[in-house]
Amino acid sequence: MATDDTALRLLPTRFSRVSIGLVVAVGVLVPFVVSGDFWMTVLVSAGIFAMGAVGLNVLTGFTGQVSLGHAFFLGCGAYTAAYLGAARGWPLPLWLLAAGVIGGVIGGIVGPFALRLKGNYLVVVTLGLVFIGIHIFENWDRVTGGTNGTSTSQAELSLGFTDFRSFSIPGKDFSELQGLYYLVWILAGLFVLVSANIVRSRPGRALQAVRDRDVAAEVVGISLPRYKIGAFVISSSMAAMAGAMLGVQQQFVGPTSWNIFLSIQYVAIIIVGGVGMVSGAVLGALFLGPLPEIVEKYSDKLPFLYEVKGEGGIVSIAAFNEMLFGALLIVFLLFEPRGLAALWLRAKARFRTARSTP
Amino acid sequence: MSLLEVREISLSFGGVRAISDVTFDVEAGELFAVIGPNGAGKTSIFNCLNGVYEPRGSIKLEGLELTGLPPSKIASLGIARTFQNLALFSNLDVISNLMLGRHHLMKTGFIAGALWVGRAKREEIVHRRRCEEIVELLELTPYRRQPIGTLPYGIQKRIELGRALAMDPKVLLLDEPVAGMNLEETEGMARYILDIRDELGVAMVLVEHDMHFVMDLADRLLVLEFGQVIAVGTPEQIANDPNVIRAYLGEAS
Amino acid sequence: MDKFLNLLVAGTALGSIYALVALGFVVVFKSTGTINFAHGGFVLLGAYLTYNYSVTWDLPFIVAMLMAMATMAILAVILERLVLRKLVGQPAFTVIMVTLGLLILIQQVQQSIWSTEVLLDDPWGTDQWELGGVVITQVRFFTVLFAAIVVLGFFLFFRFSAWGVAMRAAAIDQEAALAQGISVARVFAISWAIAGVVAVVAGVMLGADSASVNSTLSFSALRAFPAMILGGLDSPLGAIVGGVVIGVTEVMTTGYIEPNAEWLGQGFHSVMPFVVMIAILVLKPTGLFGSRAVERV
Repeated sequence: MATDDTALRLLPTRFSRVSIGLVVAVGVLVPFVVSGDFWMTVLVSAGIFAMGAVGLNVLTGFTGQVSLGHAFFLGCGAYTAAYLGAARGWPLPLWLLAAGVIGGVIGGIVGPFALRLKGNYLVVVTLGLVFIGIHIFENWDRVTGGTNGTSTSQAELSLGFTDFRSFSIPGKDFSELQGLYYLVWILAGLFVLVSANIVRSRPGRALQAVRDRDVAAEVVGISLPRYKIGAFVISSSMAAMAGAMLGVQQQFVGPTSWNIFLSIQYVAIIIVGGVGMVSGAVLGALFLGPLPEIVEKYSDKLPFLYEVKGEGGIVSIAAFNEMLFGALLIVFLLFEPRGLAALWLRAKARFRTARSTP
Repeated sequence: MSLLEVREISLSFGGVRAISDVTFDVEAGELFAVIGPNGAGKTSIFNCLNGVYEPRGSIKLEGLELTGLPPSKIASLGIARTFQNLALFSNLDVISNLMLGRHHLMKTGFIAGALWVGRAKREEIVHRRRCEEIVELLELTPYRRQPIGTLPYGIQKRIELGRALAMDPKVLLLDEPVAGMNLEETEGMARYILDIRDELGVAMVLVEHDMHFVMDLADRLLVLEFGQVIAVGTPEQIANDPNVIRAYLGEAS
Repeated sequence: MDKFLNLLVAGTALGSIYALVALGFVVVFKSTGTINFAHGGFVLLGAYLTYNYSVTWDLPFIVAMLMAMATMAILAVILERLVLRKLVGQPAFTVIMVTLGLLILIQQVQQSIWSTEVLLDDPWGTDQWELGGVVITQVRFFTVLFAAIVVLGFFLFFRFSAWGVAMRAAAIDQEAALAQGISVARVFAISWAIAGVVAVVAGVMLGADSASVNSTLSFSALRAFPAMILGGLDSPLGAIVGGVVIGVTEVMTTGYIEPNAEWLGQGFHSVMPFVVMIAILVLKPTGLFGSRAVERV
């Protein structure tokens, strides 16, 4: 009897191995081709969104726990980067890890709420968390700088001999943005690998069992506290690390950035990308993450947009961007609830049948 | 000492007694059936046995007290069950559902899982092999890679049996395994149940109201009426028991 | 003692706004079983529509408010029909997220049409009365009065009108209601219309309370969640009681807790409702008046 070992592989078919290889290769080569600050900024933002969205997908996509609290955990990470990375001068691996640990610990404190509360209630509690979070960020002056915020521009960004702020290989010097691009996407890649590994092994199966049918999960021996809280810890830890990178990218951390809209953006990303599929979070981040910046750049091509009120146009750029998020969220939930990843799977299946039937 | 000893368990919901002073034993390798009309408390007994409800009284598995333990703990001690209305993980495929049955036998935690190489992978291979054996035993091979939600009802019932079996249980609780099945599927299920007893020697407790099905199959039966035991014995004893004839057979004919 | 009474008056006024907002959430929750985040947007639009009719078009204030109510009722029914109706039978997660999407859309539509901050020109007057040391401003007086009228109207409708009875029946058991010839679809539409109407009053009062109508009103409206949770999610009476309790708690926090506990930070009163809410959810998830059937674990 053949226990097919290929089924155990992360990338079981040659097609999947080749396509992932291509994606990675393109990703590595991008900074050699793209040097403009605009596109680099866009890709760095997308990478940070991908980090956070992979985290939210562990909680919402695989464990079925709906949370609007993601912005709060992102904020915790950003302030950690500012306080330990910039103000205290901790090295990169330490402040990044510290952000992850702090996010994880707070997630572990919030997680037990998911044991008593389901669905609607959990959404409301996590929403409350965002309001309470902003209050703390505004008032804990010593750490957060209060309403004035705090700077992250001094945060250490080097690892061993590589300083991501300015590193070079023979024949090529990279800008700070390009360095940040590599750093952020390496982390995003690690998060993808970690969550894909969790999903295909015992703990990930347990999370999905809790999502699909929690009573039955308990009856086959799965401890609900362990896995619900575990999902919160992983998700908020990844969110905090994404927040730390976001803080570094923006060079400044202020209290009001960590609002509900940010949480909704992340939810929109995993829904548009594909809930409960690891690749979905990345697809969603690549598609939705850069959207605001792209709309802004090409706003002069879109006559209904204006930058300053009174200069013609119907909608401001910022308003249009938020509308896009809202509209895409609704459209995908109504018409393609499994998101872009499902579209891709379907296209792939069609491609295969087209090839096998001459 | 019997494998499973149930002593005077009682359970009430808001003053209404669902079961009262139910006592029985299940021996190793035995096929024990609980029968009774709808609402007699059959499923409630199952819910007590695997910890979904906490009754008064005592339930011991190999001498170890189970009452008061959470369902997940009881599962890991060796009690597996299937549900009257399926309770599969419908977004996962057949193999993953069976692998979830082996959850309590595995050790990989979040960190080992995230790293994958080493223990997580080795463990996955070992347990997957065992699941493949069960897939073959229950003739599920054609469906193994399909998501559960799309499969026919009879197949899903079998997959649920497979998941319970994958738990390597000491006692297997089957809640109406042939409910909603046609004659052919029912016979098929009977065959699988006998195979499991003969090949694996697992003790089984079966709740059913299809009288003929259990009379042919079970080693011993317990008859419930309004939450109380009215008879326990072999199929012959039960068939001739005046209480049972009055309460159950009489009503049915 | 005067301080306490003054705070009580202020708290009751604030609480009646929360009560109105929470009532809108509860009415929709009761018939459809999901939290309608778009309601925050209804509150916002209600305030701006009233502004538009009364200030821009120069209509009498009461007429403007009635027109805004009619507009919001129609809009709410259209949204229910076009979007929410398609989601019947979908998981709660999907419905909640769609209403969040609507909230964002409504918010941006508002910002595109009106400038960010507008004034309603104090239609209720700026006078105040003094009753033995207790100051009652006209704004507060009218806030409580309007809230009382709306709540009374709602309960009369809910209790005595044919549709109110249908709504209550559908809330108890949709299938049984269908069997009785009640159109559940109509019940959904009516509950959304009611939410739209109530939102106008809530929006106007919220605008009066914060001295201007501005685009953060929709998030202020979300601060009524604690009231709804305290009341028990599916109980209109609970929403009213919860609203008042939360409003008074918030104002008392400003008056008594904040001056004595500076470490809690500035504006702690605005998160106090959420702190109370989390405590309630941990201790008694069904709230004060909620039915047992509402999802728990």
